Amino acid sequence: MELDHTTLVAFSKSWGLFYLFAFFIGVIIYAFWPSNRKRFTRAKHSILERDDKPWK
Amino acid sequence: MSELFHRKLERSAIGFVLAIIVAASVGGIVEIAPLFTIDETVETAPDMRLYTPLELAGRNIYVREGCYACHSQMIRTLRDEVERYGPYSLAVESKYDRPMLWGSKRTGPDLARIGGKYSDFWHVAHLTNPRDVVPESNMPAYRWLARTELRTDDLSAHLSAQQALGVPYTDEMIAHAGRDAYGQATPDTEFADGVMQRYGEDTSVRGFDGVTTQVTEMDALVAYLQVLGRLTDVAYQATAATEQMPDASD
Amino acid sequence: MIRQLTSSERQTAAVLLLGVTLAGLALAVLGYGNALAVHGVITAVLAGGLLFYVLSALYAPEPDEDRQSAYYDDPIKVGIGLAMAWAVFGMFMGVWVAAQLAWPDLAFDAAWSGFGRLRPTHTTGVIFGFGGNALIATSFHVVQRTSRARLAGQISPWFVLLGYNLFCIVAVTGYFMGITQSKEYAEPEWYADLWLVIVWVTYFLLYVRTIARRKEPHIYVANWYFMAFILVVAMLHIVNNLALPISFGEAKSYTVWAGVQDAMVQWWYGHNAVAFFLTAGFLGMLYYYLPVRAQRPIFSYRLSILSFWGITFFYMWAGSHHLHYTALPYWVQTLGMTFSVMLLVPSWASAGNALLTLNGAWHRVRDDATLRFMMAAAVFYGLSTFEGSFMAIRPVNSLSHYTDWTIGHVHAGALGWVALITFGSFYTLVPSLWKRERMYSAGLVEVHFWLSIAGTLIYVFAMWNSGIIQGLMWRTYTEEGTLAYSFLDSLVAMYPYYIARAFGGLLFLIGAVVGCYNIWMTVRSMPSTAARGQDLPAAPAPAVPGE
Repeated sequence: MELDHTTLVAFSKSWGLFYLFAFFIGVIIYAFWPSNRKRFTRAKHSILERDDKPWK
Repeated sequence: MSELFHRKLERSAIGFVLAIIVAASVGGIVEIAPLFTIDETVETAPDMRLYTPLELAGRNIYVREGCYACHSQMIRTLRDEVERYGPYSLAVESKYDRPMLWGSKRTGPDLARIGGKYSDFWHVAHLTNPRDVVPESNMPAYRWLARTELRTDDLSAHLSAQQALGVPYTDEMIAHAGRDAYGQATPDTEFADGVMQRYGEDTSVRGFDGVTTQVTEMDALVAYLQVLGRLTDVAYQATAATEQMPDASD
Repeated sequence: MIRQLTSSERQTAAVLLLGVTLAGLALAVLGYGNALAVHGVITAVLAGGLLFYVLSALYAPEPDEDRQSAYYDDPIKVGIGLAMAWAVFGMFMGVWVAAQLAWPDLAFDAAWSGFGRLRPTHTTGVIFGFGGNALIATSFHVVQRTSRARLAGQISPWFVLLGYNLFCIVAVTGYFMGITQSKEYAEPEWYADLWLVIVWVTYFLLYVRTIARRKEPHIYVANWYFMAFILVVAMLHIVNNLALPISFGEAKSYTVWAGVQDAMVQWWYGHNAVAFFLTAGFLGMLYYYLPVRAQRPIFSYRLSILSFWGITFFYMWAGSHHLHYTALPYWVQTLGMTFSVMLLVPSWASAGNALLTLNGAWHRVRDDATLRFMMAAAVFYGLSTFEGSFMAIRPVNSLSHYTDWTIGHVHAGALGWVALITFGSFYTLVPSLWKRERMYSAGLVEVHFWLSIAGTLIYVFAMWNSGIIQGLMWRTYTEEGTLAYSFLDSLVAMYPYYIARAFGGLLFLIGAVVGCYNIWMTVRSMPSTAARGQDLPAAPAPAVPGE
């Protein structure tokens, strides 16, 4: 396949879009995966705990 | 599966790093990669000439003083811009520009086609003190340019760096860069002879700052301003503009 | 500070500093006769001075053996001081250049003080000097606290912080001498750029290694933003600054990109510098300091994840909206416009997330100016991202581009969002870092807050007015079909707004000076709380089942 301008543009326009969707489905799955709920809840509360020393 | 994957991704910071790189790089690649083959689609300008060493030195003064902060060099494809400044800018017109100086702000007017619109004398007076010529102007005065001798001993190095990056300067041009810069602003000296031969008949050889015995930074900057938009006339042909390119002899 | 290092670490530091001093001297010799030599001398003097300091303390007593069981806060403290110093410098330069637009003779007829040379000292001073130091300092703090681990290095944090400041100093002194690539927000020349790459790679490694040491299983979302900031800025910086020096003894270089490619690369860089330097990093601050100050967890952690990936992904496409109606291919412009509009979703998700976190604690926002700084920052973030998406729409851009509207937009973001979130974070951080009960004066925080808000609003409204007037005057036609105004007419109309803008900036600068005084007095004169034996080991929180 020759790498001319039209090919590059066509590739950009089609795969760019495909990639966009694939990426977002992945992110949404991660964010809403049921077993991740606990770690997120823990994470958002953990920064409010005392933090005067590193943990051993 | 998905959970395992994500957990792994997150447990090792490296996986996370890779995810960010992948997410962030695609947009740039998609938009920038095709521009490397853009030569195939944009206008060509076979007659386009190069910046002479003096003009390049002037361009570097423009760069040094940060003129782009207030002056654009990019006429957009809008009616009022074309009527105010001239035919809209084409990609090919800045193909030798490193860096491009399209700018992002017009505190002062666009300069893409300023070349030939005013006399050398006007430019010198204006740069010396803008308010002498345009009382309402808020541009800084650059009167020290006329007092500062132009450095020409490094111009060969400038041209050869440009050549290495693909600008078609010949070895002869590189060898004569310093002389040519001097000659272009001192028409009565022997140094002036080779300039037109190397850079074309349209090259202006004259004492830009009004003094023909010395080459100052004012010479270089005015030479650059006077050539802006005039390296090629393709914009006047390609866009069916009614306007003519300003004539150097005006 | 130096007493925190063991004697072998002091030796390593001395060797490093000696290396930098010698490199500076080499640069001075190589660049003899041009500005490169000045930078060599500056480097050698600064590194040599530090070397002297390190050598003078080489045989000081060894640090406590259990320093590993404490957080490494010294570089953070110095970083905050440097950030505030740069804030005052950068904002002062901003007021000066703003005044030059109204009274051009304020350049005093010298080469170094013209608008074109001073303007990058302002932008570099506030973005890289103030913003960059604030980001480095807060990221060092956040990564340690959220990972429950000490920074993974004794010397590297200092190398990152001080090396970065050397870059800023070389950059700013260069502009005065006319050393610039004239690439907006990427002005420093090749040698400064190379140095920044070394510093930045160290920063990245330090950050990743600290995260790898973490005792918390999950990487808190603020770190994601800081990581994206470090990584993407590295990418952008390297690609945009690829250049060929005319000789290794000269400061001048030519970029490898030409014309339209250079334009696209430059604005891919420029826009994403806004995205990842001025947005992602500061969102990292927001996601840590706002919940901590409000003593409430972030409203939705999921939303913060979604908006993180949204911002990381979308921003990269948006740069071409800086080049509407130019010689850039039309489809690239359209792509940039589309993604810019889509960017509004993750941006508002972040702003909304921050404001909803405060929901139920509005009485604290009312009483606590520090929290109000952060609340106002979130509001300005929401406003300026909306404005940004709006201005990226092609027909709107045809009016706004090249005018002061762009400047107004940038400052709504830079003053309203970046600076306010930083001040809010600093006022949260300073008492806890120096173990003071509170800031020296809550009243002065209040004064700073209102000066900042007044300054920002005056500035932004002046620029909106002048920008829109300018844009409209340029495109107004008479009944005969000719342009109604000359360029000069539009310039004359700008003068009142330029004066108002300089005044707004001055108020903001005074606010920053008040902030400096308050921080200084907090460190100097407030009693320490450490004496009361608070530093008992924190009990680890119970593990979440299923981890």
